[in-house]
Amino acid sequence: MYPLIISLFIVPVIISGLVVIFPKSISRLLIIAASFLLSGLSLYLFITINEPYRFSIPHTMNEVVAGADILLLFYFGFVAIIRKSWLVGLMTALQLGALIYLLTVIPASDAVQFIVDKLSVFMFLLINVISSLIAVFSIKYIDEEDCSSFRKKYFMSILFWFIAVMNLLVCSDNMEYFFLFFELTTLASFLFIGFRKDETSVKNALTALWMNQVGGLAILIAMFFIIKNGYGIPTFSNLLAHSSAAGILLPLALLSVAALIKGAQMPFSKWLLGAMVAPTPVSALLHSSTMVKIAPFIILRLSPALKNTPVASVVIVLTAFVFVASAIAALSQDNLKRILAHSTIALLALMIMMGAVGTPVTLVACLILILFHGISKCMLFLNAGILERVFHFKETSDMDKLAETGPFTSFVITIGFMSLLLPPFGAFIGKWFSIETLGSLATHQKLLGSLVIVAIACGGAVLSLLYFKVLGLLITRSGNQDKIKFEKLNLFYAIPIYFLIGIMLLSVLSFPFLMTTCFVPVASQILVMPIEIATIGWSIHIGSMTLPIIPLLIAFLLVPVTIILAMLIRFKNVDRAKEYMCGEKIDYSFSSFYFSTDKATPYFSVIGILFFVALIVVAIV
Amino acid sequence: MNDLVVPVILIVLAPLIGGLVYGFERIVKARMQQRWGPPLLQPFYDVLKLADKRKMIVHSTHAFLGIMHFVSLWFALAVLLLGGDLILVIFLHLLSTSLLILAGYSTRSIFSHLGANRTAISTLCYEPVLILFAVSVFIQTGSFEVASIFSYNQPLVLKMPLAFMALLMILPIKLKKSPFDIAEAHQEITGGVELEYSGIFFEAIYTAKWLDYIFCYTLVYLFGANDPLVGMGLVLFVFLYINALDNSSARVNYKQMLRFSLLVALPIAFINLLLTILHLL
Repeated sequence: MYPLIISLFIVPVIISGLVVIFPKSISRLLIIAASFLLSGLSLYLFITINEPYRFSIPHTMNEVVAGADILLLFYFGFVAIIRKSWLVGLMTALQLGALIYLLTVIPASDAVQFIVDKLSVFMFLLINVISSLIAVFSIKYIDEEDCSSFRKKYFMSILFWFIAVMNLLVCSDNMEYFFLFFELTTLASFLFIGFRKDETSVKNALTALWMNQVGGLAILIAMFFIIKNGYGIPTFSNLLAHSSAAGILLPLALLSVAALIKGAQMPFSKWLLGAMVAPTPVSALLHSSTMVKIAPFIILRLSPALKNTPVASVVIVLTAFVFVASAIAALSQDNLKRILAHSTIALLALMIMMGAVGTPVTLVACLILILFHGISKCMLFLNAGILERVFHFKETSDMDKLAETGPFTSFVITIGFMSLLLPPFGAFIGKWFSIETLGSLATHQKLLGSLVIVAIACGGAVLSLLYFKVLGLLITRSGNQDKIKFEKLNLFYAIPIYFLIGIMLLSVLSFPFLMTTCFVPVASQILVMPIEIATIGWSIHIGSMTLPIIPLLIAFLLVPVTIILAMLIRFKNVDRAKEYMCGEKIDYSFSSFYFSTDKATPYFSVIGILFFVALIVVAIV
Repeated sequence: MNDLVVPVILIVLAPLIGGLVYGFERIVKARMQQRWGPPLLQPFYDVLKLADKRKMIVHSTHAFLGIMHFVSLWFALAVLLLGGDLILVIFLHLLSTSLLILAGYSTRSIFSHLGANRTAISTLCYEPVLILFAVSVFIQTGSFEVASIFSYNQPLVLKMPLAFMALLMILPIKLKKSPFDIAEAHQEITGGVELEYSGIFFEAIYTAKWLDYIFCYTLVYLFGANDPLVGMGLVLFVFLYINALDNSSARVNYKQMLRFSLLVALPIAFINLLLTILHLL
């Protein structure tokens, strides 16, 4: 087991180095081989690891990690000086001060630094499979980028190095290590966003840097309080072991702040929206499928200690608000990547909310959402990349010819959006569970739950409106051309897309199986208590919730299959008529509807800041 | 198996029953306006006439989506009548409406697009209220299953009067009746999404409207729980109320509709949810 887990860290690092050295043709083979290897390893680990597997590395590495932390902060300081950014400089100085003080007070210990439990292998699966597909896609994408060939190799190199960091992050128990990997993902994000080197990219990269640094600072302060309160060394297991001790709320609140910032919740959402100027594989990988999933991951790790505390209540109300606010903000955007970013923020809010509630069924819902949202958003962003490279547009208002010039891409985007909205796809089931279980909260939480239900209902309705808008643009056809010509896509673009569609189809058809073997065991292990799941007749019972299978399967036939058939079907022997225009012969063109949220956005930020302050206040009081 | 027979018969006969309800509604509306009105079976005569017309479509995507709107609405009704999960039923209804909206967007017709826009805004108006209603019912009866609501021992309208009021406020939106019929405003957008359909394809949309009536009146019937007299009484009351409102009110624009649903109907449903929660304490 140990060598397999270690190879998940080492293989990406090796590939990261090799792609810089070797020429393009060999690098491609290496990347494809590595993709298969990493996906296969993570799948194997997922199937075999049932009990948490602890391992440690020599304790001299603790010193190395501390040294790496300091080097990293020096690099951030260097960036601050070069780019003359006082915010980055301020955050770096604060972090450096906190880190050095912390290093003096940290007690030495022999505890294990890494624990690979079911949550870790679940995240391994998500990270490695999605990253592999995106790496294959990027081979072609970055090839067509307008930059030197060294920079293209540099891009692929950082991509793989990022995969290694993510793998390390989800199994770190020691918080010092966790902080290093957290800040390394911030570094990766910074390097990627600034990749294109124009003025907006640099500006947005700096914004992402300082906002995520606030998260890192929060982790450092949390570690300080853990030591000060006398829980021992700062590790996650230590924190959970003291979940009923006095003063536990403050570290929990600070770690939640770090999670909320990484998940781009308001008022810290600007960095994710600005990150959309990065090349599209970056948006797919970091900013929708893996890095931002650190946010619900942290909340899930903390869930046994976090649930039913005032901190959890504030987090729940904040994320409920963000869910509605980002859904409304998404309606004002035209750029497809920005719409997807807002939708990501909204769904992340939902995931964090489910994690913070912490009951068995909501944890299952959170896990379902994490997995399916990762797959769907990856597919949508990869298609945004195809639209950019093959069809040369970025705005949704240009999408109305796509049904005729690019039917296959149009299909895939339709499937991607449907998988976020409709049954029987996973993301819908996650939302459904959320609504149903909030109705069954404990009594004193019911008032909180009712507020959240209103938020979910309204936010869900607004998100549906968003999807109608985009789907409507995709499905527009003129009646003239009756034959469908599927466009030919480059193999490197097409194969990841086929894989993703295949994964989605498989997950829909095997959903009951996934429930019993994947989601429920992971949730049980987080809660450290078994969750009953039984298949009675034609429905699955989880805890107190029932999932009827037959209506869901029929819904699958009705909706996604319908929309796809609608794009393909051609009736014969039926006459055609032109659209009714009262007999006028004028030229007209279509766009879509947009809502202007300029007046509301400052209020969103203010409300977000108030919530964050409340989070810290309830922890102290 | 026995308790499946009645729902299955109802589901199979739903278009016929819906047609009769629609026919009866046209007579009631006419009598309110001191006219004689068409024969009761007029909707079925319309069906026969439409089936006879020459088949014309704009393009196959549009026609197919229209037919599937009808099929999926029938399926949503089937799940409701068979006693399925209420939230699932609401989502299925949303799906059938979304097929209609996509149909509206799929042609390059201005009126169709406007109708689809307006129908999309209408769903934003009534969805949250329906979900809050479903959650209130869950907290009151302990289950989301419609089957268990039908066997609850007290008329829900007495326990959740505010939810009933909120439902009355959004039913005109769902049924596309005045004052909230902007989605199909005949004088403004010549029928909206319905415009580009003709012949047997219009038949699908037309019959879907009948099924929508059955769907909405079943939701009203739920408020009677296990007492069929209370249920039918409520259905009759709501029937007369909807038609009286339709006859006597003018159309509002979409902003007023949004403001009304989100600032009046939604808070009333929310207060009902709070009261239901506190009653249980």
